[in-house]
Amino acid sequence: MQGKKIDKEKLRVALNRFVEKQNQIVYGYGKNGIFITHKIYTDHVEDLSLFNPYFGINGATFFYRVFSKDIKVVMLLRPCEIRAMIELVKLNQIEPETITMISTDCPGTVSLKKAKADLPDDFLEIQKAAEKDDGGLRWACKFCREKRGVFGDAGIRVQEDGGMWIFPYTDKGSDFLNLIDEELVEYTGKFVILESMKTEPFVTDMDTFHKDFSKCILCKNCRDMCPVCYCVDCLFNGDEYLPKGDAFINKMLRTGTENLPYGKEIFHMIRMYHVSQTCVGCGACEEACPQDIPITKYFKGISERLQNLFSYMSGRDVKETIPYLTFKEDELKDTED
Amino acid sequence: MSDKTEREPEIVGFACSYCTFKASEMAGSLRMKYPEKVRVIQVPCSSRVDPAFVIKAIFEGADGVFVSGCHPGDCHFIKGNYYTRRKMAALKEMFKAFSMDGKVKLFWISAAEARRFIEKITNMYNELREEKNAGKKN
Ligand code: SF4
Ligand code: SF4
Repeated sequence: MQGKKIDKEKLRVALNRFVEKQNQIVYGYGKNGIFITHKIYTDHVEDLSLFNPYFGINGATFFYRVFSKDIKVVMLLRPCEIRAMIELVKLNQIEPETITMISTDCPGTVSLKKAKADLPDDFLEIQKAAEKDDGGLRWACKFCREKRGVFGDAGIRVQEDGGMWIFPYTDKGSDFLNLIDEELVEYTGKFVILESMKTEPFVTDMDTFHKDFSKCILCKNCRDMCPVCYCVDCLFNGDEYLPKGDAFINKMLRTGTENLPYGKEIFHMIRMYHVSQTCVGCGACEEACPQDIPITKYFKGISERLQNLFSYMSGRDVKETIPYLTFKEDELKDTED
Repeated sequence: MSDKTEREPEIVGFACSYCTFKASEMAGSLRMKYPEKVRVIQVPCSSRVDPAFVIKAIFEGADGVFVSGCHPGDCHFIKGNYYTRRKMAALKEMFKAFSMDGKVKLFWISAAEARRFIEKITNMYNELREEKNAGKKN
């Protein structure tokens, strides 16, 4: 694979070349008080954090419904965020022409809700800190399917000694690489993160579900912060699926439900199905939950199981079609009962 | 809702108006019998069924749900039932992960197959009845 060896300074120079032009912005991470969060740079890049030990929200959440063609964006985000961007492109929620998506190797993250302040923003240091204190890593990161920066238009990969390389995957990526003062050379060495993780198919039952979700207050924060739950007119807005008043009393009498809030299974299972092919397993839902419910376990588990059915992986390639929107005539013969 | 006597399962079915629903009408005019607690809902095409409907029906009291359409290749809208097949395959996989397989079924029943319609839903009904009353024997 051909790529360019870079360091923070070379990347900063290249990003500044880009951002100095009118209507061109860089989207990445940066120090925000004592934590590191997402940040937009509009005219100068000074203290970009290439790696971010904190996870609060999935960065793709800010880029729903971006159709403007006047503004050019370079984004340097984690693989799960770039994958969510790619799914949103497939769902026609983003016009990708002017956006260069660069995924960076991810050392794993800690929850912004609980983390200590002032963690380092260097790849190897984050990884070391995470190894020392295993409890700190989020569940979603411990079982992350793909931490390698192999998605989008270009990827930044980290060598075992901490050196960094950038590889172009598309023409847009090559255009960005042209801004970096380095020669393209063939790379054959090793990286810190070698391969993706395989997990066992997820199995559970309704009793476990009820135990795990017994504290759920149906605030729907998990839906609101999910990057791929993009519908303007969600089923659960309004009273059709989660009724109130008389309709609710009737439903209670009809179904015999005694536990409130009513409709937890309906809400979570329908959402689980609806995002099954697009969920990237980022864990933003769990991060948003005020009740600390292990939501990601279910959503990531179900989505991986359902994606495997079609040998699909959300966000792997923008040219793939979401499985529910296409079909083969000769498949799934045993689905019929 | 909590009587100890034998309980009849309730089944909700979504039937395509070009095939299965016609088959159910034909079964009616031939005076064939099928369990009373099967409620058939007519949909314009089996792919009209968002799996959300199925999930809603299950958690609002139905013991089983079936979705039924024309045989693959025979869809009135040419390819609707191929989408249904993918969606239902995934939905069934999800119910399997929740250890609830058997609650959701997919049938292919053409307008001429009244007998097949009766057989399929009676089988489903019997299975669910056994399951529902399994723990209640003594
Ligand atoms: S369901 Fe949860 S883990 Fe999946 S993409 Fe949405 S926020 Fe991320
Ligand atoms: S964010 Fe948590 S409490 Fe709120 S609806 Fe989701 S699971 Fe329930």
